[in-house]
Amino acid sequence: MELTNVLQALVNGLLIGMVYALISVGLTLIFGLMEIVNFAHGDLLMLAMYAAFWASVLVHLDPVFSWPLVVVGLGLLGIVIFHLVIAPILRAPMLAQIFATFGLGLFLRGLAQFLWKADFRTIDHPLLGQVAGGTLQLGSLFIGLPQLAAAVMAALAFGLLWLFINRTRVGLALQAVAEDRATAGLVGIDSRRMFALGWAIGGGCVGLAGAALASFYPVSPTVGVLFGLMSYFVVALGGFGSVPGALLAGLLVGLVQELSPALLGVPPSYKYAVVFGLYLLVVLVRPQGLLGRF
Amino acid sequence: MTAHNRRPLPKRSLVWLSVIVVALAAPLVFRSDTALNIGILLLLYATLAQAWNILGGLAGQISFGNAVFFGIGAYTSTVLLVRAGVSPWLGMLAGAALALVVALLVGFPMFRLGGHYFAIATIALGEIASTIVTNWDAVGGATGIVIPLVRDAQGQPSDSWRMLQFNQSRLPYYYLALVLLALTTLVTALILRSKLGYYLRAIRNDQQAARALGVAVLRYKLAAIALSAIFTAIAGTLYAQYLLYIDPETTMRLDLSVLAALIAILGGVGTVAGPLIGAAVMVPMSELTRAFLGGGGNAIDLLLYGGLIVLISLFEPQGLIGIGRRFRRSPRSQPVAVEPAPVSSSEEAH
Amino acid sequence: MPLLEVDRVTMRFGGLLANDAVSFGVEPGQIVGLIGPNGAGKTTLFNCISGFLRPTSGHIRFAGQDVTGWPAERLVHAGLARTFQIVRTFTDMTVRENVMVGAFARTNSTAEARRIADELLAFTGLASRADVLGGNLTVAEKKRVELARALATQPRLLLLDEVMSGLTPAERGQAVDLIRAVRERGIAVVLVEHIMEVVMPVSDWVVVLSSGRKIAEGPPATVARDPDVIAAYLGERYRQRMQEEA
Repeated sequence: MELTNVLQALVNGLLIGMVYALISVGLTLIFGLMEIVNFAHGDLLMLAMYAAFWASVLVHLDPVFSWPLVVVGLGLLGIVIFHLVIAPILRAPMLAQIFATFGLGLFLRGLAQFLWKADFRTIDHPLLGQVAGGTLQLGSLFIGLPQLAAAVMAALAFGLLWLFINRTRVGLALQAVAEDRATAGLVGIDSRRMFALGWAIGGGCVGLAGAALASFYPVSPTVGVLFGLMSYFVVALGGFGSVPGALLAGLLVGLVQELSPALLGVPPSYKYAVVFGLYLLVVLVRPQGLLGRF
Repeated sequence: MTAHNRRPLPKRSLVWLSVIVVALAAPLVFRSDTALNIGILLLLYATLAQAWNILGGLAGQISFGNAVFFGIGAYTSTVLLVRAGVSPWLGMLAGAALALVVALLVGFPMFRLGGHYFAIATIALGEIASTIVTNWDAVGGATGIVIPLVRDAQGQPSDSWRMLQFNQSRLPYYYLALVLLALTTLVTALILRSKLGYYLRAIRNDQQAARALGVAVLRYKLAAIALSAIFTAIAGTLYAQYLLYIDPETTMRLDLSVLAALIAILGGVGTVAGPLIGAAVMVPMSELTRAFLGGGGNAIDLLLYGGLIVLISLFEPQGLIGIGRRFRRSPRSQPVAVEPAPVSSSEEAH
Repeated sequence: MPLLEVDRVTMRFGGLLANDAVSFGVEPGQIVGLIGPNGAGKTTLFNCISGFLRPTSGHIRFAGQDVTGWPAERLVHAGLARTFQIVRTFTDMTVRENVMVGAFARTNSTAEARRIADELLAFTGLASRADVLGGNLTVAEKKRVELARALATQPRLLLLDEVMSGLTPAERGQAVDLIRAVRERGIAVVLVEHIMEVVMPVSDWVVVLSSGRKIAEGPPATVARDPDVIAAYLGERYRQRMQEEA
């Protein structure tokens, strides 16, 4: 349990935690607005990663430059998914709601596998990997540049999102709908527009996370499964519907994941299991999560 | 499910009888090994779906973790056999018992969660179990365990009822799987007619209202998960003895849990026939795509399953049975709200 | 001995005092109205009595037994049943099946449950709708199903939560008749309502809550003229005017 190991794990945990948080904020927003868990969330991330990958391969656009396109693309995809799949099941029984998004996730995974095969792909020579050998060294700590960039982007995105939700009219309307849809309707806020917006933001955030991950994480059709799982845990931990909760919980989950081998001597192959175990513990003791309202 | 306002079916029992006859006769008609394999898998998956249906369809508790029970069944009997020479039949009972205990232990805290939360928790559980088994060398870890072939005096692979292995003719596997499916289906039908069934359906509809009618909700949910676990575990043992090989990848993966649910939903969630219909459609389809499209077949599977499930969720949550009902109701029969027979007005309280 | 004794029941949610030391009793076979303006704490008290909330302090006794904190399921077996204000019919079960769920509280036999259900369907006038799915009923029908369902548990005390809301005046008349018929069967009834004119004709005894406290109780005629009650519903100035005119 050397100090350097622990510090390294701490840093790694915070960095990946930031990305988890970014992935999860869309999920929590969507749930807060319409009480639907998007079981296809991880697969949207997978699509974002593929988008960044193909952009780099086909038009030689590094994720550092292609990310705005991915964000917009996924945001639009979110809106499309809302109108095609979600809107019809807003009032459907829970079984239908769960399986509509679950099925969508399977479908997207199948599509990716059909189009691009199951092989793992990585971007050759990502830009961030080239600068300074791709790593920042602080003393005996090694910080991957792509990972750092991802975390920084995520943090900025959170900041922007916070500003948007709390300082703009649209953002406040969004909060109103999440809080009390009926009353929001009475003061003239169109719930459906807000729902679509929620999906757009969710898609956009996942797009950003995907583009950032593409610089250092191998992409395959099933890459979304694990990230998706992690995002459910983050959202449940932080509290369904709470944006600050997603941030807090994301960081926490990242830390637990990375620190459990370093601090608890858990074999690395168990580090995800530890997170899942933590999730179960939290959700049983405090179902509404750390900052949740539901 | 109560029938109301439809053209009368040919006696339901006749339909079931013909299904049983077809099922019994099928392997004698389709004699190829491939067909037999599809048949056995169909029966096993149908059992998984039927078992899932008890918890997910009747009680409305969506679980994505049933593969854990499948794995418990497969691993318990296999480990006991390979390490201690215990007959797979006893191993089957032990597996079912262990699955029952785990189901109760797991259900007790988790049933406090509702809907989405419960579903996600079952995923978490499945992943934890899968990770543990993958890293547990005593049960074979990621490599799994191979079941040694039973051999006769000449050293040739042979059949043995005692060791639950049939290497010369695989037919007995088919009939054993059929018996298991029949048992699971029968139990489901009995449940639906009984207090347990009514209570589970009430819980599925509205838990709080059920409480207000005296339903001890937790107790009945535990009954549902217990039954689900037992049948799933027995199927696991049968599967292990059929393949003569188990590993975490094939027995405990999330996809298996999802498949069980998908099959039940495709056919008609919450009904007795639903899982059977779903399996009859899905398993051959999946095997055929695999046969014709090879590796790419897996992608087609996902596309098909995923697409089907989305369509069902959007348009007909009752699955194929629901679609069938719609056809029977139109165009000549009456809408549901009309009373079946006139009633004298003195029965109205005034 | 009173069938139900509510003894200084207090319910506090964090800083909010929803019920403040409320006490009253219900005799066997009595119809008691629990009224008060919106926000008086009637539903909270209701949920405490029916086992959906645990009172912060105070006691509830049913047939002489202390049932404070008992969960709803247990109370039903002891003979205390309730309906819900926003009807919670089981939507994909038929009317008969809905009532059978209630009947199973007293029997394990499906045939017996069906028999009990059919009897109650006749009693509540739902016999012709027995095979209709719960989701396909009108509001008034759903309320009858709720009533029949609760009666199927063979209660000694029935708590009705705002059963009149959402009904037309004609339907309200039928509801009142039904409640009287329930009393004829020897079942005591507690009605929670926030409309005075509905409760007064049918109650033997009325308890009035306002801002979490009991402010009056007695026979309907007395309570209707009680100045505190009038003030609670119509405001302080009306009460003063009434007293000036008296």
